[in-house]
Order: sequence, then structure tokens, then C-alpha cells
Amino acid sequence: MKLPLNASIPQQVISRTVGEEIVILDLTAGTYFGLDAVGAYIWHHISDGKTFVEICDLVCGEYDVKREVVEHDILSLIEELKARGLLLMVD
Amino acid sequence: MTTLDRLVLGSPRLQTPVLDPPYQTWVLSNGNIWTEFYRTATGYLLRFPNLADFKVSLNGEKVACFPAPDVFDVASYLIQHLYINQVLPLALSKQGELVFHASAVEIDQIAVAFVAESRRGKSTLAASFATNGFRFITDDGLVVKSSASGFEIVPSHPSLRLREDSQSVLVSPAVTRDPTFDHSSKVQYLAGGDLAFCEKPRPIRRMYFLGDGKVTSVEITRLTAAETSIELIRHAFLLDPEDRQGLARHFDHAVKLANQGFHYRLDYPRKFDELAQVRQAIITHALQES
Repeated sequence: MKLPLNASIPQQVISRTVGEEIVILDLTAGTYFGLDAVGAYIWHHISDGKTFVEICDLVCGEYDVKREVVEHDILSLIEELKARGLLLMVD
Repeated sequence: MTTLDRLVLGSPRLQTPVLDPPYQTWVLSNGNIWTEFYRTATGYLLRFPNLADFKVSLNGEKVACFPAPDVFDVASYLIQHLYINQVLPLALSKQGELVFHASAVEIDQIAVAFVAESRRGKSTLAASFATNGFRFITDDGLVVKSSASGFEIVPSHPSLRLREDSQSVLVSPAVTRDPTFDHSSKVQYLAGGDLAFCEKPRPIRRMYFLGDGKVTSVEITRLTAAETSIELIRHAFLLDPEDRQGLARHFDHAVKLANQGFHYRLDYPRKFDELAQVRQAIITHALQES
């Protein structure tokens, strides 16, 4: 299982921070999705243009979790966001 | 807000076919089409088949109604019902107002709202309070406005619509009825006497999102701001979901409201003989400090 390099957020997708969480809205599809505090942390770094390797480094540093667990969880999250049209993978 | 002065009533006319397909359609539980939404050169056309057409300007500020010829005899009641309960909330949403599928009641001079899709019990709860010493503020099309001290609910038309099972239990024969139509399957009651109405805006203390009733007792659980944002968007009146700018603006307003921290999930068994207990649980919870 290998993390992709990077991702970008489609133009029609907007997000708002709500407390510690984030709510994402696809203006074209009219669909929305919520991220908990950890997901919000990852989303912020995706928005900042960081690569997934960099994001893994940051998450491992911020939360006391094994790297393979972090990579697995990040991969699951980005796969779900991609399936919902909320992320575009960048090679 | 519910003044009919803004509504221009045109002459009855045939509902001629529209070239473009509707961008949205509302369908009744029996499969019949209730409303078709069309875009026009000057705004929107909302068609209630065999009942009336409503033309709404692009900014939502002007509304004109053209009844179908066959309903002209009862047009005035029909037009009021369609305009106040269906069209006006949508027009207001286009003006940037926050309008929800929700009822609201006044408890100790604060507003408590019940947000839900159809048939979840919003009107029954409102009627239950309004016939037991409290006042209802709105039955549906709940308008939320920003105020100096936070958010407040603005009263709507002083009427309440109930299905047959709720009518016989909650409403005394003394309450005035409006004429009804088969398509709505509800009876409309006018406020007054045994059905008390609050005609002033009230600050919001609680917004309860109603569950599906598959519980054995009253349950009230707090929602996070993110969960609330999503629920508010789900239950909002939106005339044009494809208006990106409007949707983004709406999203921002919903998030601001969600951040107030007074949102809960409320669920209870749907039994008329337990409504008094449900009311008391809501009153106790609503009057607690947040």
C-alpha cells in the first residue's frame, strides 16, 4: 500500500472550520462531508499543498501513533474524499 | 414576513408546457408531482400542477402568482397556503435569509425550534405546546435572523397545519379551520383562542433536530457544531441549489448559527398520550443554562 504523492482540492469544493472539525461542501454536487479533529488537521495540510509524506511526518509528530497506522488511516481518508469528488490526486 | 402585500396576483391562466426540463421536482408520497422548478430569463417559475404558477424574480424579492383556471373559485385560500408555506420560504432563501423546515414555540419568552423533514412531528409538537399554555411562533418555513444578542426566530403566518390523527387529539372544535384541499392531506387552523400564537420575534435558546421515533423514552443528545452545520444545510429551504454563490453564502450563515452551541438531537416515542411528558422534558431542558 503506497501513499500517492499529493492532492489538490477541486475549485467547487469549499470548507469551513467548525469548532475543532471541518465541514466540506461541494458546491456543484450540493453534497457535504464532515471531518473530525484529526481529519481536519490533515485537510488543513492538504490545503497548504503539503505532500502526503510530509503530512504523515506531521501527524506522527503531533499524535503518538505508529507510522504504518498513520499511513493506513491517511490513505483511507484520502480514498474516501477522492471517491466523493472532494480531492483530486496529483501524480 | 408573512404579509401578502409582496405577492402580485395575476389573472388565472392555463399552465402551458415549459420547453426546458425542471431543474428540481418535489414529489408527494403518493408519487404525484407537487412542485416543478424551472429557470426563466428573469428568475424562476414554480409550478404546482393544476393549481398555480408562481414567478419569482432572480433576487427573490418579487413574486407573482397565476392560478390555474379550474381553481379560481377557492383561489384566495389556495394562493395564501401555497405562497406562505411553499413559495415565500424559497424566495426568502434566495434573498440570503436562513429558512428551515422547522416549527418553533415560545417558552418563557425564548424560542425553541423543532427541525425535521415532513411527517416527523414538527407541527404536532407546536400544536401540543400552543394548546397547553404556550404559544407557537411558526409551523414551518422558520426564518432565523441575526440580532444584536445572537439569533432570533421571526413569527410566520398565524396558522398551523395538522394531519387527521393529530387534529382530533390536539385541537378543540372551537379553533377556526381554513378550507383545505385533498392534495395537502392536512387541515389548516388559524391562531386565536385555544391555539395561541406569538407575534413577536424571540431569541433562540434551543434547536432540536427530531429523530425517527424508534425509541422508548425521550432522548436528548447534544450535536457538535459540524454535525449541526450539516443538519442545517439538509433542512434548509433553498430555491436554487445550483446557485454556487448563494449556496456558499448560505453555508457560511449556517456555520455561524451552528457555532452558537444550542443544537440537540431530540427523539421520543410518537404516542399522543405521552406528549405531555415530551413537552415537560423539552421545557426542563430548554430552560437549563447551556
